[in-house]
Amino acid sequence: MIKNKSHYNIIIIGSGFAGITAAEILADTNLSLLLLDENIHFGGQLLRKIPEELGEYSSYKTDKIKKIGFSFLEKVENKKIDLMNQTVLLGVYENNEILIEYNREKTYTLKYDILLFATGSRERFLPFKGWTLPGVYSTGMLQVLIKSSGILPAKKMLMAGSGLFLFAAAYEYLNNGGKLMGIMEQSPFWNKIKFFPQIFHQYPKFLEGARYLSKIYFSKTPVKYQRHVIEARGNKTLEEVVVGKIDKNGELIEGTEKTYQTDTLVIGYGFVPNIEAPQVAGCQLEYSREKGGWIVKVNDLMETNRDNILAAGEITGIGGAQKSLNEGKIAAHTILDKLSLENKKPLVSSLKKLLKERKHHMSFVKCFNSLYRIKPKTILGIPDDTTVCRCENIDMQSLKKAVQMGCYNPNALKIMTRCTMGPCQGRICAPVIYDILQILCQKNPEDMGLFSVRPPLKPVSIKSLGNIQNIE
Amino acid sequence: MEDLRVDNIKRKQQIKLKVNGKEIKAYKGETVLASLIASGHKTLKTNPVSHEPRGALCGMGVCFECTMTINGIPNTRACVTKVQEGMIIETHDQE
Repeated sequence: MIKNKSHYNIIIIGSGFAGITAAEILADTNLSLLLLDENIHFGGQLLRKIPEELGEYSSYKTDKIKKIGFSFLEKVENKKIDLMNQTVLLGVYENNEILIEYNREKTYTLKYDILLFATGSRERFLPFKGWTLPGVYSTGMLQVLIKSSGILPAKKMLMAGSGLFLFAAAYEYLNNGGKLMGIMEQSPFWNKIKFFPQIFHQYPKFLEGARYLSKIYFSKTPVKYQRHVIEARGNKTLEEVVVGKIDKNGELIEGTEKTYQTDTLVIGYGFVPNIEAPQVAGCQLEYSREKGGWIVKVNDLMETNRDNILAAGEITGIGGAQKSLNEGKIAAHTILDKLSLENKKPLVSSLKKLLKERKHHMSFVKCFNSLYRIKPKTILGIPDDTTVCRCENIDMQSLKKAVQMGCYNPNALKIMTRCTMGPCQGRICAPVIYDILQILCQKNPEDMGLFSVRPPLKPVSIKSLGNIQNIE
Repeated sequence: MEDLRVDNIKRKQQIKLKVNGKEIKAYKGETVLASLIASGHKTLKTNPVSHEPRGALCGMGVCFECTMTINGIPNTRACVTKVQEGMIIETHDQE
């Protein structure tokens, strides 16, 4: 959808939970509002469903939080706000200006009064030998294939990784007729018990988790804890996966190797915030591994250090839909306040209540991200000949050598090795390289800084870039 | 090959795509990547640096491992592109 407006009161980047929550509230005002998203559909990675044009899904079940999300989405789509899908944010400039690309055809510059980043998160990866083989997919890809296209990557496969999402994806796969050879969880079983102090404020998550685990249990899928993928092997595509046991420090125990014959392996090691857009906008970031790595620094009102730029959702700490919902509401509240508007529809909850809720969410964030953190010994154990940066084919040995030569920060490492310089621009490997650098240099990531980011934020064709539409 | 499409969806409109000159079946509403996976295409490109075979990883527009030429436009991500009747697809693993 192409719009012919060049100025909006509010532009929201990302239509996931945080973005649509804020949009849903702000849409009831007279403000001009644009919500844009890179994907074909609105709703982000959580709110996916079989598109109407594809067909009807006969057994669609959804939980409470997704129901809320889908109802917001419906409201947003029916309101008079402007929506742009397949729209990529390329840059954020001085004078409240942004550059966007629509549908790989045209670029536009737009002005905002207030910009809200709700760019969400992406998956975290732990490189192992052979993870570049076709047939190794992410848990996110598994869910996207099932939920958006109704397709399984294989009828039978193996899953490995760390974190709750691994089990959510396994549940989805089993529910759609897939057969699992096993789930190889990196963290120990007793990690799950450490969640119990959170039960009071997070009981929907517990019910969800219990549902996943019971499905997996009754499907007789072997679930193994403290298991690490050593190697994926195959001639041109995946044929077998070697898994080993790790001790409580994350070190591989020799003689525990087991080989699984499979042409499909699905991996997932948690999430990292999508901070590149706020970074390019000059927003202050902070490093907090217990909140998911590099995150956008916000105050209680979700304001960044940049005037009129706010951030909400996963980019302020990985915590899931409930937290994004809460922060989307706070952000909307702040925006209404800033523009000195009274909302026509009173907010569901008062700011005080929202801020109190957020405290509980942040406590869950810290608990969750710490428990599933990959151990430093496991990261150090990545073999020398393992590709870390997939695009530029930079292996662990090259990174170690560069550090030995004095590359003690991400950008020095990048200049020396070309890591993070391929088409994905470090979105896959940068998070693990931050971990590698921190361990090798024994320095605080905040002292080493981030990989630099410049516009265009994603690869753009010259044709598209040359086709700037000036709307008067 | 076995059918990877789950059977609890009543699919509406079947269409055809041409992948490296060969016809494959798809349904309107699927992404190009989904239709390719369903028809057994795992290897989607050759990495330009190492010349190793590569397939999709993230499935949601982040990793750029599924870029291919779609209707003449090179480096298009198959995972964020919807199929259309008669679409012509050239994967980047053809040397």
